[in-house]
Amino acid sequence: MSVVYGKIVSLIIMERFGLVLAKVASFLFKTPDSPLLFIKRGTELPLSKIKESLCILIKHGLVTFRPNKNENLANYSLDSNKVLLMLRYPKYLNFVKKQFGDESEIIIEEVLLRGYLPASELILKVYDRMSKNCNKPPSLSIIKDKLVYLITSKYLKRIPSAENKPVPNLVQNETMMHVLPPIELKTLITYQNDQRTVLPDKNIYWTVNFERFHQDMRDKIVVAAFERKFDEHAAEIIKLFLRQMYVRTEPWSDISNPIPAMEVKDILKRQANSSVALAFFDQYLTVMEQDNSRLLRKAGEASGGSYQIHLKETFTQLVWNLIEQVILEKHDTKAARIFRLVKLKPYIEPDRIQQLAMIPAKDAKKLSYQLYEENFFRIQELRKTPTVSGPVKNFTLFHIELDNVVRMLLEMCYKTLFNHITRRNHERELNTRIIDKKQRVDTILMGMKSQGATPEQIADIEELITPPERVVLDNIDKIMKKLNTVELEVDDTIFMLFIKDCDEYATQRTSSR
Amino acid sequence: MDVKNIKFDPESHIIELAKQRPEGISNKDLKENMPQLDLPELTGVINKLLKGGVLELFKSNEELLYKYKDPSKKTTAKGSDNEEKVVYRIIEEAGNKGIWIRDIRFKSNLNMTQLNKVLKSLEIKKFIKAVKSVTASKKKVYMLFDLEPDSSVTGGAWYQDQDFESEFVDVLSQQCHRYLVERLDDAKKQGGSPVMVRNRSYATAAEVHKFIQDLGISKISLSVSDIESILYTVVLDNNAERTTAANGTFLYKATHNFIFPPGLVKTCCGTCLVANKCAHTGSVNPTSCTYLTDWLSGS
Repeated sequence: MSVVYGKIVSLIIMERFGLVLAKVASFLFKTPDSPLLFIKRGTELPLSKIKESLCILIKHGLVTFRPNKNENLANYSLDSNKVLLMLRYPKYLNFVKKQFGDESEIIIEEVLLRGYLPASELILKVYDRMSKNCNKPPSLSIIKDKLVYLITSKYLKRIPSAENKPVPNLVQNETMMHVLPPIELKTLITYQNDQRTVLPDKNIYWTVNFERFHQDMRDKIVVAAFERKFDEHAAEIIKLFLRQMYVRTEPWSDISNPIPAMEVKDILKRQANSSVALAFFDQYLTVMEQDNSRLLRKAGEASGGSYQIHLKETFTQLVWNLIEQVILEKHDTKAARIFRLVKLKPYIEPDRIQQLAMIPAKDAKKLSYQLYEENFFRIQELRKTPTVSGPVKNFTLFHIELDNVVRMLLEMCYKTLFNHITRRNHERELNTRIIDKKQRVDTILMGMKSQGATPEQIADIEELITPPERVVLDNIDKIMKKLNTVELEVDDTIFMLFIKDCDEYATQRTSSR
Repeated sequence: MDVKNIKFDPESHIIELAKQRPEGISNKDLKENMPQLDLPELTGVINKLLKGGVLELFKSNEELLYKYKDPSKKTTAKGSDNEEKVVYRIIEEAGNKGIWIRDIRFKSNLNMTQLNKVLKSLEIKKFIKAVKSVTASKKKVYMLFDLEPDSSVTGGAWYQDQDFESEFVDVLSQQCHRYLVERLDDAKKQGGSPVMVRNRSYATAAEVHKFIQDLGISKISLSVSDIESILYTVVLDNNAERTTAANGTFLYKATHNFIFPPGLVKTCCGTCLVANKCAHTGSVNPTSCTYLTDWLSGS
């Protein structure tokens, strides 16, 4: 939790929900676990507004509450990690679209927009939206099937039901988490015609299960890493291994349970296009197993050999790689070389660094102290007891503490995000006049087009924006696009750094429930 | 043993005695062992031995001691005085690692000016030479003239007059990497099973050594261990990996990274050197940052 982190949180909320909510959120960020009146005093907002903001934040799962000592009052806290996830929404949508098609994308989008909603309402909303926007809307049953699929494959989960108390205690029924109550299409159709019809699943709400998406994103990273290191066939095998892993292992455990190689081979046999991977299946396994990274390890010889995937170690290695890349880009090859040397031989003396890395003494010293200054290295000093005469020689030993470096890089990511969002807001502010004008022109154009205006009339209106203004607009457009893409990419880095500690991630998950 | 009956040879007797006592013999010892010799005779014999360099004279606790000196080590040329002999011997002991002038001073007990004179005269006579050490540029070490300096003093192949030749090392490292990459590509082109491709792409240091020598980029001859250390830098650059073969030697193979450069360093903030000073307010801030402006206006 740092100052920058708090600032991004409030910036993100500001962008999506406006000033009032941002104020409430940043107050909650600073003083977690505060009751309502406390928030009122801290933010100096009218009580009704605070209540409204808390409602919205709770609806989106950004604020959690628990009963105070006095059970009639609730204490509110901000779940800041969830706020940061809002930056990742486009990625989730893109993923769903690619994987399951447009209907699923709209389903997820609706849920993300609203926080949570009942299944039947969701189906109707999606249907309305799709029938408005495309010529051939899918039928209700298709949407329902897609929804059922998303729920059974755990992309959506049921939100806990509340007990009837002044401050409700949320109870999660684990078995019912991903079970859809029966929805009759007939009732939906009658509801479409007559809004007064009571829907059967009125009180069962669904929300997005982010972990499931993260699990897929994680797998994608692992597969991509294997593809880059070995080749596409090896990646294919790993993909199947990961899939088989979920059959017998908790998705977020550090090390998978042993997976029989025969099982994976059988699946490969059924896939038509994987002849290379199948032909050299055993050899690929040997190569991957004998590799220095040791991500896949043999667990036993039974039934043609079984293998374990060391996920935690995989990510630790990927994070090392990531840090090395950051240093490579920031301080160039030589520094990256020194960093790797210190990683391989912790507590190393500067003299040894210079010898092994084959870098001139002066440069080696400069680079290693530069890395120290940037907090990549730590120094352990060994002092000799001071002698009466002669120079006192101390030993300076360099080493790395991975967790610290990761934390520092996360900070760096947050700062980068903060800078980009601030810059984006600033650019927008500078050009408010032109952007507003463009919007006005666009609305006029829309209206005219729907009224069936002639092309000349439309051209007339379009000319309201002068060529120099157009250049400015294009430029802003470019800048915004660039900042947005980079934001997503920085978020990738955050994800990677964050996921390193699978177990930590899991505990965080259970505590947030 | 009846000493008087055999022909007595005082010289060999004294040498025998001195050999038995490496810590030295005193006048008193001599008198006890050789009561038949009178003092002038004894003085004459000892003086002769001292002049011949067989015995050495020491003084401890106000008492004179004679020590035996091995004639086989007697390499000091004629014409040197005693100081030179002492200094020469100290330098000889240091071997090809050399010895620092300060240590010579402590060992020889000579004062600075005298020692400098002695060293200069030895240098002129080409008995010893001064070599500059790479570890400390101002430190000179002395060693015998005909010795080849140790690699810890000269720094080995990578040093030219105490300067580390980083460009030379960089070029070699690049070439080693190139060789490994070519080898990997070749192995891939030949096709075959993954294990075969992997095994073909491994190269030993000796093979790389041969390649470097055939290239002829190095004026000096490099040893295989020199190439090993170059290859280690390639490994440290994450461009290759090193495994141990069955016979204990190292095998090298070009590799790829696991990941592409992360998103963080694709922005200018990730590589910014003043990022620590950057904040919402103050002179370094995101709204007026020139780096950001440049980056945004770029393609």
